[in-house]
Amino acid sequence: MKLKSMVLAVSLVSFSGAAMAFDLGKMLQEGINQELNKGKQTQSEPDASQNAAPATKQKIDGRQLGFALFGSYSPEEETRIGRQIAGNLLGAVPLVHDDKLERYVNLVGNWVALQSGRKDITWHFGVLDTGDINAFAAPGGYIFVTKGLYQRLNNEAELAGVLAHEIAHVTLKHHLKVLKQSSLIGALGQAASNKAKDSDQVVQNLIGNGAEIMARGLDKNAEFEADRVGIVFAARAGYDPWGLPEVLQDLAGLPAKDSRTSLLYKTHPHPADRLAALGEAVGGRLDAVHGKDIPGRFYRLK
Amino acid sequence: MKAFLVPACALVLCVAAAPALAASGTVLRNDKLYSQPSATSKATASVNRGTSVNILARQGGWLRVSAGRSTGWIRLLSVRAGAGGLGGAGLGDVVGAATTRSNPSRVVAVAGLRGLNDEDLKQAKFNGDELARLNAWQATPAQARSFASQGGLKTANVAALPAPQPEQKASPWEAN
Repeated sequence: MKLKSMVLAVSLVSFSGAAMAFDLGKMLQEGINQELNKGKQTQSEPDASQNAAPATKQKIDGRQLGFALFGSYSPEEETRIGRQIAGNLLGAVPLVHDDKLERYVNLVGNWVALQSGRKDITWHFGVLDTGDINAFAAPGGYIFVTKGLYQRLNNEAELAGVLAHEIAHVTLKHHLKVLKQSSLIGALGQAASNKAKDSDQVVQNLIGNGAEIMARGLDKNAEFEADRVGIVFAARAGYDPWGLPEVLQDLAGLPAKDSRTSLLYKTHPHPADRLAALGEAVGGRLDAVHGKDIPGRFYRLK
Repeated sequence: MKAFLVPACALVLCVAAAPALAASGTVLRNDKLYSQPSATSKATASVNRGTSVNILARQGGWLRVSAGRSTGWIRLLSVRAGAGGLGGAGLGDVVGAATTRSNPSRVVAVAGLRGLNDEDLKQAKFNGDELARLNAWQATPAQARSFASQGGLKTANVAALPAPQPEQKASPWEAN
């Protein structure tokens, strides 16, 4: 938070100094002011930012400006945010170490992701070693299914459906929008380290504690949208589009107080509501789609 | 003797027809039962939202269900499996949030049973080794295409689904 106010203060100073007395200059100022107002709760330390700003003759790069004005991230920045969230999530629960499984979910996932139209990121898929029933997506294409959920799946189309829902969260940038809305995140600036195994402190300062963003959940309309968009990705990949609905039916049949689904239900609408919403959107529109289930190739996890 | 045999036969038939999938469910929206798993087949009955059904079989996007005296095929998305009637209607979320946020003792109880909850996620420390493992298994688009082709998967032209109109409010996160 502090860092964000600093960066913005720096940009404010640079612009007032620049000879840009045009409407564009004014527009930029307004954009930046808006950003500043958003982080108002952090303005309790005005001295720090005022002192820091003139001292740092930092050049404002286009990305930071782009963020201040439009709130958009480059694919690299998005990956940086997702990488940090994914690394933290893996700190809470590690991967299932099973070469064949890891290979398999990455192949299915990438094939579905190829239908999403997003080519500017590298997708990663993993199975988390927990009995909990859930799946997660972080910006930049980091996607996880828990072992508890994976073991309930019956065929490749169901796996594709679950992954497609998470892929849709990424392509629709749902988590980035939440971060932006809660003002948790600002322009990133430079990474402190380029080492692959290191934590990114700059991003960490902005996303809160650990992987708590994964426990916070999204707007329920974002979940309905991911179901609607995901089912189409899976169908475009040639799978039976009913994979995801089948998984939702399975979850709907579980006892309401099952502790394995407590986090899932805290962060998602009830499966019955998701089926109902999906039913409204689908109607007879997928009647002519006949995809494959591929139960024979499905990698079964003991 | 004859009078006794008829109900006994009916019972036997019921048991024989009871399939592996026998499960209870609830109709989520007013819809029809069809004689075949196809909307072009004959509609045999109408069922209303909230009707209890027994799910007998599944085929593609269709479920074979019995509702009262009627049996037929209904769209998979028009029914939810399981007890709990119409289900959440938002209620599940509210209850879930209440139990996890305002009743800390409840959270502890859940945490004792399973590894993944809010607190674990909040406390999580970056694990670079696991992340490196995740990266090591990444697949290329070419590998994914070849894998799809081995499985006989072919891309299909499927139009995007429209957002249902009535329930759509301006999403709060679009206001930025």
